[in-house]
Formats: sequence, structure tokens, C-alpha cells
Amino acid sequence: MREFLLTGMQWFIIACILVCIIRILTSRTTSGKLVGLNVLSGVVLAFLVLRGVSEGRALYLDVALVYDIFGFLGFLGIARFLKDKIQGESQE
Amino acid sequence: MSIREILAAIAFLAAVIFGVAGLAGLFRFPDPYSRLQAGSLLGTTSVLSIFIGTLLLSPNGAVAARVVVIMLFFLISSPTGSHIVARFTWNIGTHPWRPKSEEKKNQGKTGKGKDEAAPEENP
Repeated sequence: MREFLLTGMQWFIIACILVCIIRILTSRTTSGKLVGLNVLSGVVLAFLVLRGVSEGRALYLDVALVYDIFGFLGFLGIARFLKDKIQGESQE
Repeated sequence: MSIREILAAIAFLAAVIFGVAGLAGLFRFPDPYSRLQAGSLLGTTSVLSIFIGTLLLSPNGAVAARVVVIMLFFLISSPTGSHIVARFTWNIGTHPWRPKSEEKKNQGKTGKGKDEAAPEENP
């Protein structure tokens, strides 16, 4: 029962990841892409935690925590850089 | 089949329901603000339900403690990320969506058209 639950949720999360990637690829505006990326980072974190618990290894969960921290920082950097770039283009 | 597995199955079922609803909203909603709301629904409720389910199914204390730490950090980082995206969308001047009948009404009243419905500039 335990293996069935964890494996089934892993397949569901893989389907969610594919749908999010389709959303990122098909949206035309930058805001749409950033919204898709925001969802994707949370879903990938859930996949890493499920994988770590189903294997019973604590190492995967350390990787998941570091992924969460650095994904958040990278996200901040992307928004900051794109805002400066778009505002600079509109002023010129 | 123990009580922990039943509770985990309930948490996973909630995760599936909210995940499908959030993904449908991500595709169906018209503007980035409402899409962000659907994305936050998926991010917070669905992912947190998955964390609760894995916490119930975790094999030993080391794994459970790490899941708790990840859950706390995710509760901080996910709304902050959504806030960053919303502020970015507002700052580059995206208009919130409104129904076409209302736009026409505004046009008839003021004669100025779409700019009347635009958000004010952020200081």
C-alpha cells in the first residue's frame, strides 16, 4: 500500500511537470512564463521529496532543500533583471 | 493497512484534486493575476498536502525532520515568489482583465477608451 501510494503520486507529479512545461512553452508574455516557472519550482520540489521518502534516503531531502533555496534566489534575480531591462528599453 | 496509510491516502487525494484544479486554472484564466492565483492554489495546498502525506509515510526520524524543515521553508518561499511575480507584472504595466461589456460601457461614458481602465502608475 505504501509503495503504491508513493509511486502513484510520483507519476501524477511527473504529469504535472509536463503540463507546466507545456504552459511555459506556449505562453507568449514574460509574465505568463514566470507564472509557469513559479508553479514548476514548487512541483519539482514535491517530486524530490516524494522520491526521497520512497527511497528512504535523507540525502535526497537535503538536495530538495538546497534546490528550494537556490530556486527562490534565482527567481528573484530573473524578475529583477527583466524589470530593469524592460524599463530601460521603454525609456530609450 | 495502518491508520497512517489511510490518512496519507486522504492527503494525497486532496493533493490530486487541488493539483488538477490549479492546472486547469493555469490554462483557462485570462490574465496573469488570476493565473497567479490558480498557481498559488496548486503551489500551497497541493504541495503542502503532499508534504503532509510523506510526513505520515516517512520511514525514520531523520527523513521526517527534514520534511518538516522543507515544509517550513516552503511556507515562507512560495508566497514570496508569487508576490515577486505579481509585482513584476504590475510594474511592467500589464492591465488587469475585465469583461468586454464593461470596457464598452467605460468607453461610452468617458470617450477615452482603454486607458481609463489602466492601473495608476506605481510610485
